[in-house]
Amino acid sequence: MSGLITRRTMLAGGTASLLAAPWVARAQAKTLHIGMQSILSGPIALLGTSSRNALMMEQDRINAAGGFLGRPIEFVFRDSKGQPQEAARLTRELVNTTGCELLIDAEASSGSFAVQEVVRDLGVACIHSNSETSSLTADPKIRVPTAFRVARQGVHDAVAGSIYLSEYANTKKLNKWATCSPDYAYGRDTTAQYLQFFKQFKPDIEITTEAWPKLGQPDFTEVITKLIQAKPQALFTLLYAGDLSAFVNQGNIYALFGQMAVATPNVDYPVLAAIKNLPPGIQSATRYLETFPNTPANKEWGEAYFKRWNERPTNWSWQNTVAMQFYESAIKKANSLDGKAIAAALTGMKINTPFGVDGTITMRDDHTTINYAIGWGQTTPKEPFIIDVKAADWGKIIELETDWKKQQKYI
Amino acid sequence: MDLDALGACLTTPACVVTQATSGLIVGMLLFLVAAGVTLIFGVLKIVNFAHGTFYMLGGYVAYSALGATDSYALAVLSATLAMALFGVVFERALMSRVYGSNVLMQLLVCYAVVLIFDDVVKIVWGPEFHAMGMPPAFQVPPLFIAGGVVPPFYAVLIVIAALIAIVLGLGLSMTRLGKTVRAAAINSQMVSALGINTTLLFAIVFAVGGGLAGLAGALAAPVRSLSPGMGFSILIESFIVTVIGGMGSIGGALVSALLIGMVRAFGTIGFPQFTDGLIYIVMIAILLLRPQGLFGRSP
Amino acid sequence: MKPHPASRDVVIAAVALIVVLAIPLFHRSPAFEDFIIRLSAMALFATSLNLPVGNTGMVSFGHGMFYGLGAYAFALMMQMTDLSLPVAAVLAVSITTLASFCVGAICVRLSTDYFAFITLAFQMLFYSVVISWQSLTGGDQGLRGGIPRREIFGFELSSQLHLYQFCSVVAVLGLLALRHVSTSPLGQTLRMIRDNEDRASFLGVVLWRARLLAFTIAGAFAGLGGVLAALFVSGAYPELADWPNSGQAIFAVMLGGINSFLGPALGAAILLALNDAVTRFTEYYGLVLGIVILAFAVGFRRGVLDFLRLAWPRSSK
Repeated sequence: MSGLITRRTMLAGGTASLLAAPWVARAQAKTLHIGMQSILSGPIALLGTSSRNALMMEQDRINAAGGFLGRPIEFVFRDSKGQPQEAARLTRELVNTTGCELLIDAEASSGSFAVQEVVRDLGVACIHSNSETSSLTADPKIRVPTAFRVARQGVHDAVAGSIYLSEYANTKKLNKWATCSPDYAYGRDTTAQYLQFFKQFKPDIEITTEAWPKLGQPDFTEVITKLIQAKPQALFTLLYAGDLSAFVNQGNIYALFGQMAVATPNVDYPVLAAIKNLPPGIQSATRYLETFPNTPANKEWGEAYFKRWNERPTNWSWQNTVAMQFYESAIKKANSLDGKAIAAALTGMKINTPFGVDGTITMRDDHTTINYAIGWGQTTPKEPFIIDVKAADWGKIIELETDWKKQQKYI
Repeated sequence: MDLDALGACLTTPACVVTQATSGLIVGMLLFLVAAGVTLIFGVLKIVNFAHGTFYMLGGYVAYSALGATDSYALAVLSATLAMALFGVVFERALMSRVYGSNVLMQLLVCYAVVLIFDDVVKIVWGPEFHAMGMPPAFQVPPLFIAGGVVPPFYAVLIVIAALIAIVLGLGLSMTRLGKTVRAAAINSQMVSALGINTTLLFAIVFAVGGGLAGLAGALAAPVRSLSPGMGFSILIESFIVTVIGGMGSIGGALVSALLIGMVRAFGTIGFPQFTDGLIYIVMIAILLLRPQGLFGRSP
Repeated sequence: MKPHPASRDVVIAAVALIVVLAIPLFHRSPAFEDFIIRLSAMALFATSLNLPVGNTGMVSFGHGMFYGLGAYAFALMMQMTDLSLPVAAVLAVSITTLASFCVGAICVRLSTDYFAFITLAFQMLFYSVVISWQSLTGGDQGLRGGIPRREIFGFELSSQLHLYQFCSVVAVLGLLALRHVSTSPLGQTLRMIRDNEDRASFLGVVLWRARLLAFTIAGAFAGLGGVLAALFVSGAYPELADWPNSGQAIFAVMLGGINSFLGPALGAAILLALNDAVTRFTEYYGLVLGIVILAFAVGFRRGVLDFLRLAWPRSSK
């Protein structure tokens, strides 16, 4: 009997300590805690891990330079597992319990919208470093006073890509196109955006067929044969990461890449590393490329990253680095960690960074970054993997973005 | 919805042949994975929710084995054997303790294994995705058969899947072991009372089921991406195949895998954004009209 | 199990509610309040699942569908209409009730395993509709832009304290109602069906009708849980209706104890606390959760409350 009671007490005690653990208030140390949440597990864990790697490098750099306002910084990393409700909870926990005074939201799109609503309530400074969905900051109903985006924005990529691809299509006389994009909001919205601008620049384009594989679909066979049937001259695809790699491998055995030109904005180092026989001549945007912008600073950062982590940086790595560079400058300028003060400092701020198209990136008044590097080129199986990179024209991007915002009734 | 495109495809012989061929390929790959689920259910009345994990581990083992030996054949063999062994350990150490418990207990044990090994894979092989790449022997242009396009690698896959269907089918009906297995499926206590070692029998069934999943993972690795959590979509797919075909029926699994392959191949033309929904509707209809599945024994 | 005086349940519920409501008067802890808000949604979800699972022996794999439907119906009504919050909540629960009645009417005649599969299939169908119907639901990105949390009876639900109080009251009332169902003659009938359906049938019980009733009630309360979940995240996301979420409810039921009324709620609390505690220390949450589940399933072989009642029979209620 006593044995049973002991076990019972032990169980009850264990449960109690588990229950108590989350909200034991933590003493306010001198160290400045910065909350970072992302997807660190499951099929797209690379999103979180490559963001975290970049932030660790920034943490070391900033602390070596004396921290923020004289306080050393320390990241608190949390895994939302890609679930929006968990993302919302983590944001509150990071601020309310762990005592984080700044936030880096490195979630994918759906998580970032959940975080956005919590930040609206909390009023703390937050930078979304990975969400590319335009409406997060473009839609004034969704925008939040203390939340900013330091990342690509879908509509910028769409304009830049369409301009490049329409020139490419004109040169090569490619009028019949097919699309193949993942069947979820990112895939559908972004495809629609690309096509809208594409048709604007090249009115005689004809879309012969559209394929919509599921996200994480293991087998693309029926999609590939459907595309081959439609006999387009060129294919535009928004598949990315593991899905893109599987699509290329399966397309290869159907000799898909010999039958049509292929364009995608999504070839990056992880895809290049995973695909053993990447077909040459794919038109691709540069997500992150050490050779674009072709500056010593960019190359140096890319090499330092590789040296420390033994893998190449992703698009997410540079975005998180720039997010910290913005925090650094804004806090210096505001001389405060208050959400409103940082927001005021960030708005309109221009910083020097290796990832800007001209060595600078600007935080525009609508809380999103511009002038980051966007380029398009073509793939080659060997280093530097993407060659003949042409930089996008930011004047044109902003002009068309403004039209798009008017059309969406955002402004 | 794009019913015009579907109509146009169905009246063009080349389109019908090509999509039917790709339906056949999708279906045969599905069958390869689902065969293990249906076999284990048939004998043990256990839904192996961890089957996707076997498949995932098979893929990863093959990936590493290929790196070590440079031989795709050896990679496939080692993945199959490793997963057969894994199946036995899984059965002996865990599943055998929840035989006879309700289905929720079995679900819990399987799901725990799924969670644990998704993380183990992440620790061992890293969080990023990997691609094995096509073995050099298969890096050849596709064949054209009756207007349809068939890559040689898939031709080999179809042959292997067909062989497995035949071996399983014949093995179950002709051999002594197969007959015992079928008897155990009907009444395992009676089989046990007749002096047959059912413990060994169950372990063998799990070894075969695990081996099949490992084989499927290794065979799919050259064309699919490897990532932690990749077993989940496979589990759902093989689950649907098994339910539609009839839990425990190998022939049913083959027919329903091909059926789903065809729904996918032609659905992608007619209903490109609702193919999944279409498959669930088929599954619900089957469960309502014929709960035991197309080829299952009625309960 | 002897019949239970309803008055005792009411007293216990009232005491619990008073304690929970009193805590913020002495100590404000945002994390604790968040925990209770999430727990109230999850406890309703898990406890409602136990009505078909534990009480009736109908294993449903698709319960998340009703949780998600409640969240979406409520959030959409709040965003698209000017209905007051209680009206929207009641309508959302009514919609969920109707949906679970329809799904139940189709499914309840199937035997155990097939019932589990078909509920799963319905959930996956619902999930793929949510994902596909982007213009309404926002697809995989969920309903964005927040839920306007209009004031009710002086309650301002964007204030954490008011949301905490609101959720606690709703959850305790909801659990009390479920307790009433489980101790009512209907509850007794359901247990009789679980233990021996032939006998129940001989005694004149119309099996499918009783099962359908249990399934419908369960769906309604899952929908209520979904409403609370939508309030917490200020939106609705497809993950709420996805298979792993149904799995969470199943774990909560199994972890807390399938044969104890408060088992699922305790299981939900353990799962949430485990999640909150473990994710602070490691990104290998799956590994830890997997080992805990194995310990319960293979080691204890039953949930915490059931285990305690077995270990110490006097504590059984």
